[in-house]
Amino acid sequence: MSTIKTMQLALIILTVTACTKPTENIKIVVDTDVIKYTALINVTDGQNGSPAPANTSIVISGAAAQNIYELSGKKEIKLSSGIVTIGLHPTIAPTADQPIGVAVEINAPGYNKETRQVVFKAESKQQVVNIQLTKIGSTTPPVVTPPPPVFNNVALTFTGRCPNRADLEIRPSVYVYFKKSDSNAAFQYLGYMDRGNISTNLLEQNATYDFQIVYGGDTYKVTQKIDQTNYNLTIDMPAACNF
Amino acid sequence: MYLVRYVLILVPFLISQKVNAQMDPSAPSLLNQKSILLNVGTQGVGAEFAYGVLPELALRGGFNFIPFKANDVFKISGFNSTSNLSADFYNAHILADYVPLKKTTWFRLVGGFAYFFKAKGDIRIIPSDDYKYGDLVLTDDQIGYVDLTVNWKGLAPYLGVAFAHTFPQHKFNINFDLGTYYLNKPKADITGTGLLEGNSSQTPQFQSNIKDYRWLPIVQINFSYKL
Repeated sequence: MSTIKTMQLALIILTVTACTKPTENIKIVVDTDVIKYTALINVTDGQNGSPAPANTSIVISGAAAQNIYELSGKKEIKLSSGIVTIGLHPTIAPTADQPIGVAVEINAPGYNKETRQVVFKAESKQQVVNIQLTKIGSTTPPVVTPPPPVFNNVALTFTGRCPNRADLEIRPSVYVYFKKSDSNAAFQYLGYMDRGNISTNLLEQNATYDFQIVYGGDTYKVTQKIDQTNYNLTIDMPAACNF
Repeated sequence: MYLVRYVLILVPFLISQKVNAQMDPSAPSLLNQKSILLNVGTQGVGAEFAYGVLPELALRGGFNFIPFKANDVFKISGFNSTSNLSADFYNAHILADYVPLKKTTWFRLVGGFAYFFKAKGDIRIIPSDDYKYGDLVLTDDQIGYVDLTVNWKGLAPYLGVAFAHTFPQHKFNINFDLGTYYLNKPKADITGTGLLEGNSSQTPQFQSNIKDYRWLPIVQINFSYKL
């Protein structure tokens, strides 16, 4: 830019006494909904409902497997706390006539191998696939987790924080799990958070909850006591900060 | 409120000076003189018609506009990007030129108002790197862009000084204006597309940062032709 233009700009744009820099304290907000068609794979120990053992492996196979990515865009797919979200490459979408299916195979030492067919359909961009592992030789039927009780609606707005990038803020689109902080029970599915926002009727007033998301092969948690109907929660998401 | 203050200060000063000026019979009178002016300066280019309504007071009415575009003038720290800036200011104005001292008729006090039909600045920030999301390389459309817009449309008072005579001694002259408009309180907005759509949440902070950006300084050269 020429000197004249620079000077002209400096004068036009106003100037003079305003001391605050126009971009002061402004952050770049980045969404994570790059992958539109997703499936949450939740692998639990069928005997007690706890997350699958840490050494549980997951393999995706089938014709469409090459187009499957983890929610953070990574090709490597691994479980964290028994959970991973997989999805289709952003340029690939199922149609009403042509859903896209892949096979998900779960292996854990001491457990029977489990295989599920996950089908991405045009009409549902999100889905949850629960897989319960059974121990080899066990005849005990898997536990059935009762649905959580229903309360009044609570709106949660999550902001992903980048520990090393104060100028960056994340609006996560991710599946959320929850449990009462003082409970030893396993995390339960809360719902899908769309660009940071989730509304739910599964939270009891005056109770304190742990919220958990799994993104980029890592598990992130935040705790909040619920005594209002709206909350803004900040959760560390370093895996989303490489933008 | 600032307008009232401005008028209260200016009017008594003009009245007191008028008395002194009229007592100097050698001073050239502005009364009934006419000229047209073409100008160029920080408010762009424009034209005016000037008319002497009193021996030491002339009125100028005219318009100015400035369409301005520039690239890469705006950076956000830690975020590699290109930026496209455009600024559009269109105003119609009326100014009063007062010669306070008859011994220095080349010096004038200038006050008045402009109505800015358009007073808008836009900055589009576009990420410039090939951004990867995990192992995925994102397209420009997927990444999107951020638009920062500021609008000052409305009435704005002007106060300044001018150098050299409003009306040429012969047919032509060049004179200068130095002053400032005090613009309307700006309305700021941020919008985003693609993965940057969520940046509209930064609008309140941007509005707060920009709220004191109201002075539009004027440095202007006028080419005057006496009618």
